[in-house]
Amino acid sequence: MSYLRQVELDSSFPPFAAFREHFGFVPNLFRAQSLLPGVIEAEAGIAASVLIREQALSRIRKERILLALAAANRNAYCVTAHYQMLSLLGVPEKRLNEIISDYRQAGLSPADKALLYFALKLGRYSPSVSRKDFTPLLAHGWDDESMLEAVLVTALANFLCTLSTGVGAVPDFEPRQIPTDVLSSPGMYPSNGAEESSGPYLKAIQRSPDEFAPFAFFREKFGFIPNIFRAQTLRPDVVEAEASAIREVLLTEQFLTRVQKESILLVISAANLNTYCVAVHCEMLRAMGISMEDSDQIAVDHRQARLAESDKALLDFALKLTVQPSRFCREGLEPLRKHGFTDEQILETLVMTSFTNFLNTLQMGLGVTPDFPPRLILRPTPSKVANLLDNNRHPIEIDLQADPDTEPVARVQGGDLDAFEDLINRHSRRVYRTLVGILGNPDEARDAMQDTFLKAFQHLGDFQGRSKFSTWLVSIASNTGLQLLRDRKHVQSLHDDAVETDEGFRPQQIRAWSDDPEQLYSKSEVRTLVEDHVMKLPAKYRVVLVLRDIEQLSIEESAAALGLGIPALKSRHLRGRLMLREALTPHFTVAAKGEPA
Amino acid sequence: MAEMGDYLDRAVAAEIRARIESHLAHCQTCQIVYDSAWKTVKILTDSGSFDLPEAASKSIAGKVMARIRSQQRSV
Repeated sequence: MSYLRQVELDSSFPPFAAFREHFGFVPNLFRAQSLLPGVIEAEAGIAASVLIREQALSRIRKERILLALAAANRNAYCVTAHYQMLSLLGVPEKRLNEIISDYRQAGLSPADKALLYFALKLGRYSPSVSRKDFTPLLAHGWDDESMLEAVLVTALANFLCTLSTGVGAVPDFEPRQIPTDVLSSPGMYPSNGAEESSGPYLKAIQRSPDEFAPFAFFREKFGFIPNIFRAQTLRPDVVEAEASAIREVLLTEQFLTRVQKESILLVISAANLNTYCVAVHCEMLRAMGISMEDSDQIAVDHRQARLAESDKALLDFALKLTVQPSRFCREGLEPLRKHGFTDEQILETLVMTSFTNFLNTLQMGLGVTPDFPPRLILRPTPSKVANLLDNNRHPIEIDLQADPDTEPVARVQGGDLDAFEDLINRHSRRVYRTLVGILGNPDEARDAMQDTFLKAFQHLGDFQGRSKFSTWLVSIASNTGLQLLRDRKHVQSLHDDAVETDEGFRPQQIRAWSDDPEQLYSKSEVRTLVEDHVMKLPAKYRVVLVLRDIEQLSIEESAAALGLGIPALKSRHLRGRLMLREALTPHFTVAAKGEPA
Repeated sequence: MAEMGDYLDRAVAAEIRARIESHLAHCQTCQIVYDSAWKTVKILTDSGSFDLPEAASKSIAGKVMARIRSQQRSV
């Protein structure tokens, strides 16, 4: 089942029971670490707080990040595992295959695409992340809590990928094929962002070690509270899980010494160009009696450092797993065995390497500044870039503005009918939502979809690509829907511009909502409530609400599709949101469920 | 009011944002309205409303393609 010796753990072993409860099975990745049950417990703690607990991002969103990164890392074990979990969460296979091969084609909202773009950039080449990368996330409405979770899940993805490669975990289910052309066009190497990207990028809450146990722990063990943990206080439960992992993985001297572990941390952090972690762990090695010159030498080139040959082999092994995971195999363990390392020590090395990748990704995503003035500013050097140019690690630069439909549209224009069927499937939800928004009736909307796609097909020859194909399609849907409204002499029209002032709408219901209103009802109840009340809004507000908040089109795209100016679109959007707020208030106030409000 | 819309979209300049937030700190009515408006947007966004089931999408695609193919044959 793996490259390492395993022992049988009791079936009541709490982490395994938790995995069974949440995943339905115990992943082989964790079974493969049975020599270190304390480590499995620490990892389960991180998984519970980062992945399973749903606070800002839903489980599906997090699993999507894990799947997309596993595919980009070409890690068959993780792809298989997250594919299975997303299937269990109800995501159709077709969507999952799209996420694996190119998430941009997976029918995701622009906000979700922006989130995945960010995660892939951070996960695949963390030094390229800077404050600028948060601007599109903010524009798509992601708050600091969500962005923190995205950074954490990305770090977790790198942890799981490194570890599963290292232990040689056998996939838990029929292995999924990873297409050869997974989003991995070699992009530009951005310069090392260490200097210009001063963070932290996300907000945090001040905590004192006197009231927050993990901080007391760090102060006791390290003599200070590392900034990387201060930057995550929006999620105290995560900091707690990380503190347990630090204790279990780094501080517990069971098989490897602390100096060996710190050296691994240093070498891997340097390979990942992580100035922060190098500065912090040079300092820690210094506290353990290693001179600055020696620790610097380990970071710069451990082969030239004053180390035992066995320790150099250990660091070679950790480095190879990090920079060339695709070439890592069972034989990679042989040099360590020749030097007399036990399976327990090898497993600790693998966990330490994976955990370093976790911390490095996390630090780059948070943008935390070093706790000590760094002596080494790491930049891509030819030898390290050469290592990183391994097929499996090249960074990706994706143009978010590019229209993903250009290629299939050209194929249809060249006579390929099947490509049009793909376009229909890709955009049917968006077209449906536009039509429901306008017509206010699901059955009519489905009928009108056919007309929309037929018109689109007939006029595809005229489509010049001046707007995105999806925007063009939504405008056809919108015109189709409006024509139907006119034919049926509906009183409502999208273009009656009577009293479009802001003064016409003043909030009536001034009652505080419950802290967590979505918890008052089941997901399907919430959906029904939303759908019912959205349907009752006048068409001109309803359609804007559907396009902007549910379909998450940008202001410009929605305005273009509906043939409205931007001020009119914004004003209707706000009006729609406030009208919906009025309508939902009786359902979501503190006393909404149970007693009459 | 226009600023409220931009604020909900997190698209206001820092100084306007600061002005809104300093007003919110003192005005309970506005606090309630803003808080519930935020929550409305979040509920709406998270609800996955008006989703088209995969099967419905496939069936519509099938019908459209059948019509296109029959038109192409008759031309």
